[in-house]
Amino acid sequence: MEKQSGYTWKLGMFVTIGLLLFIMAIYFIGKQKNLFGSTFNITSQFKTVSGLEVGNNVRFSGINIGTVEEIRLINDSSVVVSMVIKDEVREFIKTDARASIGSDGLMGDKVLTISPGMKSQKSVENNGAIASIDGVEMADLMKSVKKSVDNIGVISDELAIFSHSMNNGNGALARLVRDDKMANSVSNTLSNLESGTKGFSENMEAAKSNFLFRGYFKKKEKEKEKKQEELKEKKEEQQEKAAKEKEAKAKEEKEKQEKAKEEKEKQEKQKAEDAKKDAEKK
Amino acid sequence: MILSLKNTFEQIGNATVFAKRFFKEVFIPPYEVKEFLKQCYYIGYKSLPLVAITGFIMGLVLTLQSRPTLVKFGAESWLPGMVALSLIREIAPVITALICAGKISSGIGAELGSMKVTEQIDAMEVSAINPYNYLVVTRILACTLMVPILVFFADAIGIIGGYVGINIHGDVNFYRYLTQIIQSLEFLDVIPATIKTFFFGYFIGMIGCYKGFNASNGTESVGRAANSAVVTASLSIFIIDMVAVQITDLFF
Repeated sequence: MEKQSGYTWKLGMFVTIGLLLFIMAIYFIGKQKNLFGSTFNITSQFKTVSGLEVGNNVRFSGINIGTVEEIRLINDSSVVVSMVIKDEVREFIKTDARASIGSDGLMGDKVLTISPGMKSQKSVENNGAIASIDGVEMADLMKSVKKSVDNIGVISDELAIFSHSMNNGNGALARLVRDDKMANSVSNTLSNLESGTKGFSENMEAAKSNFLFRGYFKKKEKEKEKKQEELKEKKEEQQEKAAKEKEAKAKEEKEKQEKAKEEKEKQEKQKAEDAKKDAEKK
Repeated sequence: MILSLKNTFEQIGNATVFAKRFFKEVFIPPYEVKEFLKQCYYIGYKSLPLVAITGFIMGLVLTLQSRPTLVKFGAESWLPGMVALSLIREIAPVITALICAGKISSGIGAELGSMKVTEQIDAMEVSAINPYNYLVVTRILACTLMVPILVFFADAIGIIGGYVGINIHGDVNFYRYLTQIIQSLEFLDVIPATIKTFFFGYFIGMIGCYKGFNASNGTESVGRAANSAVVTASLSIFIIDMVAVQITDLFF
């Protein structure tokens, strides 16, 4: 009997440790799959699950909180996904949370992601349902890409026609681009136009000093001065006086300037006439 | 030619009858509990050091060998999962079973063979002890139950070996290592592999016993029985493994 007890305890220890290892492995794997511990279920309805499978992870704020338990079709355009989630995160998932299907890395498994809502303060209930966001489907993406590619096709066709007519046509723009004579005449026209507008501004100056229009321009100036005076009245009287003196000086100066302008006008009119003659020659 | 073929079939038939007899007699009293525990001790506990060393080395070597390939793909973080998966699904059961075939099957074959040659088995029958029940049933049962437990040990020690292997090149926390392994495992990896080991154990015991029990007279037949027990058991392990993997693949 003593001899027997010599080996039975070793045998017992051996068997116990061996079975314990096995049970531990089973327990931890089961825990990974949410078989033990308290859990709760929620469902969400999708148009498409894009390859989601039973057993895929459910994520909330990037943390794995559960797994997909069941995927079933309820009619031709909607799929109900029910998931098992750890009870401890239930308080964080509100009733307006949304489920979406994404993918884990470039080649990874599909992942169901629950994103938090904004307003609701109420936690989701067991067997409750949450809304879903439709993921970006490759087909949809392709549709929109096709639309813009079609548009690009139309645009490039028109661009081809346009550039062809630019190179071969006889329109004004085409000639402008290709023809040196045309370019020269345009640049001449532009320089004439420049001198013309110079003359025009001189005419305007002349009109200002003309006795017929002088009254009109002076009125404008006076209005300006009045406004300035009103502003200055609010300030000290000394400044007001100084301003009046300045105005008097300014008037004198203006009269001088006007006289100078009359002299200039005569010269410039002659110049303008010379320029016109040049243009006619060309 | 035909005679040798007939002989082969006769041997297979004999072995089948022998195997069937085990299932009949295992439920029939008297139950040889004491002898059964003794055999469990020899088969299980005494094989543990051998299995532990093999398991550790397998884990270590497997990690070091698969590392360069995974590094090439930038998937070094999958190393623990991959090593654990291949250890638990395939390598630990098969290597443990082969070790047991070498150690246990040959031992049983030699033991029973010499008993047969020295007519101890006949003496048992004369003294109204059922030799099949006392010698064969206890040994096969002990083998069937102990080999799976040895495989659990080999799994665990192999995983520790893998941890050592990973830490030769990198630095991974043990807890993180275990988490990665658990994450990569499923029941589908553990359960079929475990069921497989019961069959390994049964065949190791059965072939050892059959070869020993049917040893012909003469001293050299003891050696022949031990030798052919090891060869047949090893071969049958690979065949069972192939069948088991195919069945698992078929259903899951």
